[in-house]
Amino acid sequence: MTEDVIAARTRALAGALSAAGFARLRVREGDTEIEIRRAARPAAPADDAAPAAAADGFGARGERRDDLVTSDVVGVVRLARPHVSDGQQLDGDRELAYVETLGIRNPVRSHGAGRVTAVFVTEGQPVEYGQPLFAIER
Amino acid sequence: MLKKILIANRGEIALRINRACHELGVSTVAIFSDADRQSLHVRHADEAFCVGPGPVMRSYLNIPNIISAALISGCDAIHPGYGFLAENARFAEIAADHGLTFIGPKPPVIAAMGDKATAKRLMREAGVPTTPGSDIVASVDEARAVGEQIGYPILLKATAGGGGKGMRAVNVPDELPTAFATAQAEAEASFKDGRMYVEKLIVNPRHVEVQVLADEYGGVVHLGERDCSVQKPSHQKLIEEAPAPELDPAIRTRLHDIAVTAARAVGYTNAGTLEFLVAGDDVYFMEMNTRIQVEHPVTELIYGVDLVKEQIRIASGETLGFAQEDLHPHGHAIEVRVNAEDADNNFAPAAGTLTTVVFAGGPGIRVDTHVYGGAMVPPFYDSMLAKIVAVGRTRESAVLRMERALGETRIEGVKTTVEICREVLASPDFRAGGIGVGWLPQFLARRTAAV
Repeated sequence: MTEDVIAARTRALAGALSAAGFARLRVREGDTEIEIRRAARPAAPADDAAPAAAADGFGARGERRDDLVTSDVVGVVRLARPHVSDGQQLDGDRELAYVETLGIRNPVRSHGAGRVTAVFVTEGQPVEYGQPLFAIER
Repeated sequence: MLKKILIANRGEIALRINRACHELGVSTVAIFSDADRQSLHVRHADEAFCVGPGPVMRSYLNIPNIISAALISGCDAIHPGYGFLAENARFAEIAADHGLTFIGPKPPVIAAMGDKATAKRLMREAGVPTTPGSDIVASVDEARAVGEQIGYPILLKATAGGGGKGMRAVNVPDELPTAFATAQAEAEASFKDGRMYVEKLIVNPRHVEVQVLADEYGGVVHLGERDCSVQKPSHQKLIEEAPAPELDPAIRTRLHDIAVTAARAVGYTNAGTLEFLVAGDDVYFMEMNTRIQVEHPVTELIYGVDLVKEQIRIASGETLGFAQEDLHPHGHAIEVRVNAEDADNNFAPAAGTLTTVVFAGGPGIRVDTHVYGGAMVPPFYDSMLAKIVAVGRTRESAVLRMERALGETRIEGVKTTVEICREVLASPDFRAGGIGVGWLPQFLARRTAAV
């Protein structure tokens, strides 16, 4: 992974982490592993930080509600065709991919409408239980 | 030699297997649950996969996710450790169906030995002495008839049982209906199999077990015996040692011979343990464990054999690298199980954060553990934190060394079994050697009465 890609992934993950209310998130791809932890939230949020975060679209104080779609199984990702991409609007519940485990297709659904804000995986990528696959802004 | 092994376990045994693999130049893949993300076994493995959330049914017993992790990481074998899927014949079969070598005996042997009534029948047919008793009994009345024939006290046992579950002692016939109903209900709840059998209750026997290794070409050796008579009221082992102290040499030889004969008779391969009850001059086969055991280090320390490496070599298709006459024990080894348990409250398991963890070191001490200062003890799993093993030239020197090691051990944050083990080691009965399985429950009762 190039530094640019790592930086982009890290930004996307930070957004997902913040939006989904997770304390910690880890993604592994090939030899690269990115782990992000959320610092303890200050008792009185710093107002000046909010506009910057909002401009980045990452909703640092969780005012935006992004859902992380994670894998329930260990297997290999097969993206639905046509592939969903960052920024894509989903009109309703839709199958985004499936994770293949011992020949069984485990569907990954969006569980409703929203805008795809991150695609964390690529076609054929091995994933573990709980690994984020997509982030969706509701 | 196998190239890459998935270790389907957690805790100290996952680390133990990881060490054996790395010393053999074999790559490792760990699996872990959400609750074990920070566990040492995850860090030491070459790769790691989260296979599910904390509860074991969804993680360490999740067969599809575990097999899938092995396949997508390119493993050629699975080591199951002990507990979890170690004695699950179906798991071994599924692994084989996916081209993965299961490090253990063949599935039909696991299945036969896992069903206690079947195991007993096979052993009887091989000429191995077993406790007087019945095959499966269908009702209380059948159990009553068996009881009258063999004489009380009797033991009701679930054929799928283990760890003391589905087992009840019955002293007089009047106790039978209630004991049968509760044991059967417990067996159904724990193992989804309520089939029961009856055997004569041997009062206060010693628990002596024999370690065997068998390759896939008919080579079978024993690595002596272990005495595991210091057992909690729940029948779980607390302190083990090798060799068995104060054991008649004729009985010792007999046990070794029986173990090798029995392993051959059932076509056993890989490492296994035959458990026996010893009462006076009588020995009775109890069960065979078709896996590596918790207490295997005491055997390793006196024989100088790495049992986990031998398991991997055998599964790789190698022949045993030694004959029986090459194996000679030296000295005496003792193992203490350090569990997160409250010995003053019936060994209730404790969960929490370990604030301080300092283990002993120095000559003759081996500590197998996965915990460290700041580590969490999740509520989902076995409460064992560590095994401390001491070896010495004599039993006395091993005991003194263990006392020294327990004195150096500091574990804070949860209650542990360190203190109760120190009391046991200091007791004149334990020092004399040769106590039975009923000893620790009595010791605990006297201790409670004295407080």
